[in-house]
Amino acid sequence: MSKVQLCQGVGCTEAAKLQCPTCLKQNISGSFFCSQGCFKKNWSTHKLVHQPALVAEKTYIPKFSYTGTLRAIYPLSPKRQVPLHIERPDYADNPQGISMSEKAEKNSTSIKVLDKEEIERMRTVCKLAREVLDIGAATIKPGVTTDEIDRVIHEAIIERDSYPSPLNYFEFPKSVCTSVNEAICHGIPDRRELVEGDIINLDVSVYHKGFHGDLNETYPVGIIDEESSKLIRTAKECLDKAIECVRPGFLYRDLGAVIEKNAKANNCSVVRTYCGHGVHRLFHCAPNVPHYTKNKAVGTMKSGHCFTIEPMINLGTWRDRHWSDNWTAVTEDGRRSAQFEHTLLVTETGVEILTAGKNERRFIPDPNAESNNYPQNNV
Amino acid sequence: MEENTEIPELVEVIPETNSISNPVQEIEKLNIEGNNKTPDLKVPITIVTGFLGSGKTTLLNYILTERHGKKIAVVLNEFGESSGIEKLLSISQDGDLFEEWLELKNGCLCCSVKDNGVKAIENLMQKKGSFDYILLETTGLADPGPIASMFWLDDDLGSDVYLDGIITLVDAKYIQQYLLEKKKDESINEAVRQIAIADRIIINKIDLVTSSTLNTIQEQIRLINSAANILRTEKSRVPLNFILDIHAFDAKQVLTLNPEVNTLEPTTQSNHHIEEDVRTICLSEFPVKTIDMPKIERWVQWLLWEKTISTTFSDKITILRLKGILTPISNPDSRIIIQGVQELYDLQQVPSSNNDEIIEDKLVIIGKNLDYQKLKQSLWDCMNWS
Repeated sequence: MSKVQLCQGVGCTEAAKLQCPTCLKQNISGSFFCSQGCFKKNWSTHKLVHQPALVAEKTYIPKFSYTGTLRAIYPLSPKRQVPLHIERPDYADNPQGISMSEKAEKNSTSIKVLDKEEIERMRTVCKLAREVLDIGAATIKPGVTTDEIDRVIHEAIIERDSYPSPLNYFEFPKSVCTSVNEAICHGIPDRRELVEGDIINLDVSVYHKGFHGDLNETYPVGIIDEESSKLIRTAKECLDKAIECVRPGFLYRDLGAVIEKNAKANNCSVVRTYCGHGVHRLFHCAPNVPHYTKNKAVGTMKSGHCFTIEPMINLGTWRDRHWSDNWTAVTEDGRRSAQFEHTLLVTETGVEILTAGKNERRFIPDPNAESNNYPQNNV
Repeated sequence: MEENTEIPELVEVIPETNSISNPVQEIEKLNIEGNNKTPDLKVPITIVTGFLGSGKTTLLNYILTERHGKKIAVVLNEFGESSGIEKLLSISQDGDLFEEWLELKNGCLCCSVKDNGVKAIENLMQKKGSFDYILLETTGLADPGPIASMFWLDDDLGSDVYLDGIITLVDAKYIQQYLLEKKKDESINEAVRQIAIADRIIINKIDLVTSSTLNTIQEQIRLINSAANILRTEKSRVPLNFILDIHAFDAKQVLTLNPEVNTLEPTTQSNHHIEEDVRTICLSEFPVKTIDMPKIERWVQWLLWEKTISTTFSDKITILRLKGILTPISNPDSRIIIQGVQELYDLQQVPSSNNDEIIEDKLVIIGKNLDYQKLKQSLWDCMNWS
């Protein structure tokens, strides 16, 4: 029930029917005043309760219908700069972050077959992206902010004469996506400190000499509960099992069944809104690679195709929501989500994992394996 | 006084009980309402295409003002072209018209399967309550293919909307001229595309041409698209059940659908089976009673994706629409319905119908550079039929 509000003005006991619009916007409660005059008199002290000046109005989240316990902590740090000598993708300087080259291909379902030189460039950029991810991952510990991780990753990318692909892509404000706990993907690095028991996904994309490399991994922060470990394991398994299918002749639409089967067997669900994608000169292009079972994805894998698989696996519902920052995708039920991603090259006999880590297989089938009599595919 | 200028004007306190001052709370509330909705109640979307002057606006106004008791939203213009722009939307409820702005948000960092247009409509439904029907009017010169693909969503995406069908209006007076127009890049002109992809074709303004011209027009349209139902009309007045709730992409209805296709036999194409223009081809009279689905699916992939089926023409085959009904070996008591729009295709399994009229297995293909003999040969080869 609404009670009578009293004016906040010093020494004023009038009833208040007005309130401070800034406080309202920032969700600061109890800022009631009897009149504009009284408000004016108290302004110099009142204004201190307001949040500090914001970087930009649009990056300000007043309050969102959060689905779990994760909160955005604003303001964001100022936009990081990329030295001018580094080659930039076309969207880097577009006012809306639109990539005209991607837009031109938007309705195309034809999948580019990369030539030898293009494949070499992909190998290079994906190796750089892997290095950067590992550097970023090494900073993860309780107390570190996601913004600090963004700084480390941004600098590591620049040191490698590369551009951080997410920066300004459709106006994404940062150089990496950091998705914590119930965040599925596209989390914006902010001032939130990591807490023991969190899980965090780092999605690194790097642009080097005209090509993008893209990978992500989910990490524990300190010691995590058994359920979260299992979730992370399941997400990695889903990716690994899907990668094992990759070879010329396999249908892109059939990857989803492999992923969903493994997720379900572990009592997890698969996010449907976001897909894997082609990646090379364009950040995102054909093929479209859904991670769920029944889909109409177009295309058959061919040697020279480059694309990502990046299943997002949830403990609870597959349904997602967006925060009002327009980016952060979170689970509808607020339960945790984990994801792993590799950039893959279809080879004559199988697949080369371009973004493979030190302890991961790089080739499937393994050409160095002792019994080298894997079946050839004639499709 | 510099400091004074930054002091904002106070705003009125609104009692909490009916507070709408906090938009976030409102959205929260609406989201919850959105969730409680029965998931089965999906809203049909019909795409309405046609050149300027074909009577689209008249048709839409006719539908909107008709007392049908439905809450219908008309989405004007076209998605996919520009992003971040608000689009005007008209909504009609019981004959009353009101307008809304549809907000198109930014694209996403990684590929999102739902297009902005679909999301915008879903968001609007969450805010304003669901509609009973959505009509999507394309601009006159639009190629409806990409728009149809955009709204033909995978079931698993759990969208609130589904594609019901594609309606094309043609202007009896000018359509012949439009059909003949050559594009500079030799690609298929939009008038032909609109006819080829349609589930229902309305020949409008028939009062402006002679009956013999009208017959010629209908014959030309029939050559392009033999699978669609055609209706002639004067002032866009058509029975609503001809264009709404037709379930053109819905397997449940497809057995009774396409009466034209049912009567379409290969022999009818014998006189124009080598044709560079957009035509309908029907492959049927298969030498087997049941079909090896993985094999025929491979052939469909060659046709739609790889475009490796040879023709007599220098250019490759372009498929605009594909429909088919097949009896699978794995379960001969069921039928498989195949639907395709451009490169997209989908298979749905349905139980055999109890109708006396048994529909023969067939594939209906609408596209350019189709050579009946070669298509047939490649299918027969792929299936190892002699």
